[in-house]
Amino acid sequence: MAYKPPKQSLAGQIFDVFVLLVLTVGALYIPLYMGLAGAAKTPQPIANPTWEALGQNATEQQQWAALGITDPAAASDIITARFDYSFSWVALIVMAVFVIGYFVMVVRLSDKEYREVIEERFGPKR
Amino acid sequence: MANVTSTAAPERLQLLRVLGPAHVWALGVGIVLVGEYMGWNFSVGKGGMIAGLVACWVAGLLYTCVAMIDSEVTSTVAAAGGQYAQAKHIVGPLMAFNVGLFLVMAYTMLEAANAITVGFLLDTVAGMLGHSGLNQKPFIILAVMFLAWLNYRGVLATLTFNLVITAIAFVSIIVLFISVQFGGSAVPLDFSAITSDPLPYGWVGIVAALHFGLWYYLGIEGTCQAAEEVRSPARSLPYGTMAGIMTLLIAATLTWYVCSGLIPWEYLGQAGTPLFDAARVTGSTGLMMLLFVGTTFATLASANGCINDASRAWFSMGRDRYLPSWFGAVHPTYRTPYRSIVFLVPIALIFALGAPLDQVVTFSILSGLLGYTFMTFNMVMFRKKWPLDSIKRGYVHPFHPIPALLLLVLCATAYVAVFLGYGTQLIAMMCFYIVASLWFHFWRYRFVKRGDQFTMPWPRPNGY
Amino acid sequence: MDIWNILEYAAWALSALFGALMLIDLLKVDTTYDNDLLTSSREGEIEATAERHTI
Repeated sequence: MAYKPPKQSLAGQIFDVFVLLVLTVGALYIPLYMGLAGAAKTPQPIANPTWEALGQNATEQQQWAALGITDPAAASDIITARFDYSFSWVALIVMAVFVIGYFVMVVRLSDKEYREVIEERFGPKR
Repeated sequence: MANVTSTAAPERLQLLRVLGPAHVWALGVGIVLVGEYMGWNFSVGKGGMIAGLVACWVAGLLYTCVAMIDSEVTSTVAAAGGQYAQAKHIVGPLMAFNVGLFLVMAYTMLEAANAITVGFLLDTVAGMLGHSGLNQKPFIILAVMFLAWLNYRGVLATLTFNLVITAIAFVSIIVLFISVQFGGSAVPLDFSAITSDPLPYGWVGIVAALHFGLWYYLGIEGTCQAAEEVRSPARSLPYGTMAGIMTLLIAATLTWYVCSGLIPWEYLGQAGTPLFDAARVTGSTGLMMLLFVGTTFATLASANGCINDASRAWFSMGRDRYLPSWFGAVHPTYRTPYRSIVFLVPIALIFALGAPLDQVVTFSILSGLLGYTFMTFNMVMFRKKWPLDSIKRGYVHPFHPIPALLLLVLCATAYVAVFLGYGTQLIAMMCFYIVASLWFHFWRYRFVKRGDQFTMPWPRPNGY
Repeated sequence: MDIWNILEYAAWALSALFGALMLIDLLKVDTTYDNDLLTSSREGEIEATAERHTI
């Protein structure tokens, strides 16, 4: 006995697309509004920056000049900026649980639906 | 019946099967090559010069696995949805819905990022020529509109256009490498930072760098979406995809070499357009012009391929009623999924005009990453349900299951890399996919015909 | 008003043109052809005819 899907009204179809759109835009903008987005580098300025103090050799100084930066003080912020990679193990574990849990959920629910598909296509299990 | 082009409407409309292996190459490499022109260099910023190179090759390994696995499955499941159709036949409907969303998100976001970059580039050039405060919006909209229109009008012209501009962008990288190597640069190459400052962040920097190392290759798996439009999918898809990943490995290594040699790594790590900057350092106007053209073409080729792939995935989901069936329409003359193409234009514009670049790109990378994770168990299940002696494959990849396991390990590492700095986005996106999955399973799936989803002429899967 | 301003206006105009071309054609096709024909595409046609995957 093949499954007969109900007919969906035009309004229902439009509404379904709308739901997906709201979800997408929400996922993109909610982290932004909560101010949680992005990783920033923080410069660690040093006193009296010179090319030597910043660890730039003669060739590298030439390269900076070609990029339009001739003053070591101007390059100082770029050169000394570093990321902060300290993180909490709890957060890492939370992330791992989310990702693994997601895949387990999707595969299990898929399998349930898949058995139905195979049964309808190839007949009942032998 | 595949090549019906007469004006009299045939009984069934199909996508037009006109593409060869070169078009597949152009689609795959076209989407990705922009990553060489911008973006990859943030990996140098996240871990230093060596970490940049390690990330380049580790990501290269990851994508070689992706290309091998994808080639085998897609040479057997030749459908416009690509990985979506693979998931539907091998894992199940809900996975397929998720994979379809990964594809549409990854490509639409990447398209938006490309459009933003076109606007940024033109603004830079206008600034260099003495016009400040260029309004970028019309150019962003024009890029999206023009490419969508091209896609609307037919796949052959679209991908032939892609072939030409991708080839030019690729040749630009080669020309830059050769000229620099043979003394065409005013400033010599300098790799002293490798010895003086090898790993500014230590080993964690290498893991962190992998996040942006993916940019060298992100999107090569998009070749699968052309499956219903190539003349001989079982032969062309593996061929075009493998040629594509080889091209990218060469381009990525050359790019790292030239840029790291010519630009101090601290600057490179935050540069907007690294190859263009490298050309600026050489002091040659000709190279600068060439790399500007290369950057623009790479960006347009990528956006073009993204429109192509995202619309195919959306179209396939509409055809199966995962989405309203209205989207599953084929244009009677041009034979393109025209409704999906038009529908995705405003979506891309919302992201291109409203969201910041790094957000959009992170969303794209994460969707891609989820897709690669799916490929690992997809491959194992494919071989299990249909062993090699049960159906004929166009291409069989070697050393199974090592590529799948390797891919899984690399994906896990990449999640940690993204977590270092973009953990919130990762969680936000997982929530999005979880909510969308529940919505599909408990609501949307009732409109889907069950048995009709399985369209391949394969025997019953083992164990079901 | 320099060349860049003119380019901006040209870009607006061209965007509108390409958008209009697509929309007009979409409306024309949707009103000319039957929706059942337009959505008649099915997955797996290639497999059904050319590539049977039999060993």
